[in-house]
Amino acid sequence: MIFQSVPVDLELAIPGNWTLLMILLVVSFLMHIVFANLTIAGAFYAVWNEIRGMVKNNPVYDQLASQSATMTSIFKSIAVVLGVAPLLLVSVLYTQYIYPATIFIGEAWLNLLWILIVAFLLLYLYKFSWNRLKNKGLHLTIGLIGTMMLLIVPLIFIVAVVSMLYPDKWAGAEGFFHSLFYYPQIWQRYFHFILASFAVTGLVMYFWNKRKLTQRTKLHAVDGKDEVAATTENVKEDVKVYEAGKSFGMQAAFWTTALQLVIGPLVLFSLDREVRLLYLGDDVFLTSLLSISTLLSVVLIGMLFMLMKTEAKKWLLSSLTTLVLVIGLMGWMRHEVRESYIDPHRAENPPTIEQQPIQIGDMMIE
Amino acid sequence: MDYPVIEFSLLGNGMVIGLVAFIHVLISHGVAIGGTAMMVSLEYRAYKTNNKRLDQFARTLSKWVLIVTTTAGAITGVGIWFTTMVITPASIGSLLRIFFWAWFAEWIVFVTEVSLLLLYYYTWDKWKGAKKNIHLRVGYALVGFSWLTAAIITGVLAAKLTPGLWTETLSFWNAFFNPTYVPSLLFRTFIAILLAVSFISIIVKMRVKDNALQQEVFGVFGKWMVVTIPSLLIFGVWYLFKIPEQAYDQVIWSTGMEPLVFTTINILGLAVLIIYALWAIKLPKKVPVILVFIVWAASIGFVGEFEMVRESVRKPYVIYDYLYANGIPASKAEEFSEEGFLENWTFATVDEVTEETKYEAGRILYEAQCLACHSIDGWRSRRAFADRVAGWGEDSLADYIETMHISRPFMPPFVGTEEEREALAHYITSEVDQANGEVAKGGDEQ
Ligand code: HEC
Repeated sequence: MIFQSVPVDLELAIPGNWTLLMILLVVSFLMHIVFANLTIAGAFYAVWNEIRGMVKNNPVYDQLASQSATMTSIFKSIAVVLGVAPLLLVSVLYTQYIYPATIFIGEAWLNLLWILIVAFLLLYLYKFSWNRLKNKGLHLTIGLIGTMMLLIVPLIFIVAVVSMLYPDKWAGAEGFFHSLFYYPQIWQRYFHFILASFAVTGLVMYFWNKRKLTQRTKLHAVDGKDEVAATTENVKEDVKVYEAGKSFGMQAAFWTTALQLVIGPLVLFSLDREVRLLYLGDDVFLTSLLSISTLLSVVLIGMLFMLMKTEAKKWLLSSLTTLVLVIGLMGWMRHEVRESYIDPHRAENPPTIEQQPIQIGDMMIE
Repeated sequence: MDYPVIEFSLLGNGMVIGLVAFIHVLISHGVAIGGTAMMVSLEYRAYKTNNKRLDQFARTLSKWVLIVTTTAGAITGVGIWFTTMVITPASIGSLLRIFFWAWFAEWIVFVTEVSLLLLYYYTWDKWKGAKKNIHLRVGYALVGFSWLTAAIITGVLAAKLTPGLWTETLSFWNAFFNPTYVPSLLFRTFIAILLAVSFISIIVKMRVKDNALQQEVFGVFGKWMVVTIPSLLIFGVWYLFKIPEQAYDQVIWSTGMEPLVFTTINILGLAVLIIYALWAIKLPKKVPVILVFIVWAASIGFVGEFEMVRESVRKPYVIYDYLYANGIPASKAEEFSEEGFLENWTFATVDEVTEETKYEAGRILYEAQCLACHSIDGWRSRRAFADRVAGWGEDSLADYIETMHISRPFMPPFVGTEEEREALAHYITSEVDQANGEVAKGGDEQ
């Protein structure tokens, strides 16, 4: 094919203040992506711990897995609805780029629908049949298939949002599978995202189980005069699960965040040279953005390490705060990368920011 | 316009959009809106009459409402967007620009709705006894918010057919509160109740063995139906009075039925609903299974009819008076016909028609201007060129295309130069010949 440009923008103007809409895009995307993180890694952890429980023949891991499965089923509903706003905003602001990008992978794009529906249904089945389905192997298979389907989903989204950055390459693209290896950045971004999911979910798991544990022991202290005598089997069981959840969550968060020190630079080096250099000195603002977020990530790893050692509340709170900051900065940088790529095209193919007179029926509307 | 074109040849592009949209309408109306209303209404009844089993039934219902709405319901909703985004990008893109803030508000309502649903489901066992009141209130809020999702999206859907004053002012509020807004919203509200009643009736008949419980549920449904049936009639007629005349003439045509058949079927459908309502009130213990299934089929039929009519009476437009079904703004038709269409089309691989490029040019024109509604071959034979123009020949097809919007007012005019028109006819004819030739060679059918 020989075409080589970006479509002309729609006649109807972008309905709102450009900067405000861009901010809404970044913020709403972050909200969505955190829940997407929790959904995907939550499903993965459920399957993982169910296997651990089976291998080690330890019901504690099985219950921990069931906890993750329940959380995933809640988070995924929130992730989906939260996704509406960023999709809306990206469609309105980047019409000339996102539409061709999704059309070029149109089949995979529509396959997303049934993949999501089936994956979600399987994960509901997985959760609701936890104690009812006696055949553990079958139960595990249900969760495993659901989780594997979920792992495909970000790949399709990433191809769409990466390919929209490369109008010059569109003419050579041949569908989804080809695009997976045709466009740069795809796999680096994918693993960056998956690791982030593991880290975020790990920390949330730690936080959740710690809270539960405190509640449990408090309750327990209230109704029992004698600590030991009042310890019922039930409480003991729960406490074991919460303990396991804490330690699993924390370790997962620590190691996956540490791995980002490898994957993060790979993402940076997958960017085009001119764009990369913007982050490595050419642009003061972008360079500081990158430096601060890298620095904070290293600080976060340190804090997680301290948390692992001491379990002190102050490390938990500071880790959570730093994590939120890092996620925010990453989301912002991701946006800046897109802008760096699209800016040159935008100069040639301006979006409709102000409404020009348009003709409707026989009338010219000013 | 001006986007690449994709073809889903198995189902056909229009069918892909239609299928996802139809499933979504059934779930969003029947389960998310109507289903939650019925579920909370049953919970209320259980609370008032202190009926444990009815309460338990409402609880089970809520689990299914949760599962269905947060899987197929939510994803097909996003799915309407996904399908239109790749199949009719200009149309959905323009709608998003007009209605951005409506969709943004819709997003907030969605998030609230899902949060309330999760809260409602996960507090059934916690908020009992004295706290039952709070649980019920969450239920009322949930019903309110799910209805609000319809109240917002109806503004967008109705405006596609009747943009009203928007075409003079470009004002969001004029587009939103367009002439068919109120009747379609009210009509949709009662369609939702009808669907929910028919879905749940089947579940009750198939799964609930307890006769007293059946009686309770049908008693409640009977009352709902007494309000629903006349409302459907009134608001349906009101809606018909508000749509453009040209569209009105197409209502029966668009269903593809003879007028007599159309009328008979609709009256029969309505009669079934009335019989059901009377039965549920008079003999709630003995509602026949078969009746429940017929009501179910009838209500799905009514929804299908309403959506199909709404979608097809707009033709040739997707946004009335502004944007043609193939994504070309009506205002650009003249300009492009003079300058040449290929010239103005970003994703065209050839810029002008020559002997060598004639076929390729024709292909691009076909994809850009006809594919939205037609296919070369395919199971929808009324739209497949292999059936419709077999044996016409290139020249008469080219002549036909010049005036196709006059002889068939539901088609947009062809946009392009004379050479481009001939290239299009050339392409379609060669493809049709090939398709028909192959079928003949294979020896099946014809
Ligand atoms: C808005 C949808 C739409 C578009 C776009 C469209 N058509 Fe049609 N066309 C129809 C419908 C609907 C029919 C009639 C089907 C029927 O008779 O039931 C039809 C019928 C036809 C027929 C058969 C007419 C007859 O009288 O037998 C031809 C030929 C045709 N179209 C050509 C075209 C060509 C060429 C294009 C592209 C330039 C095109 N159409 C674009 C909707 C469309």
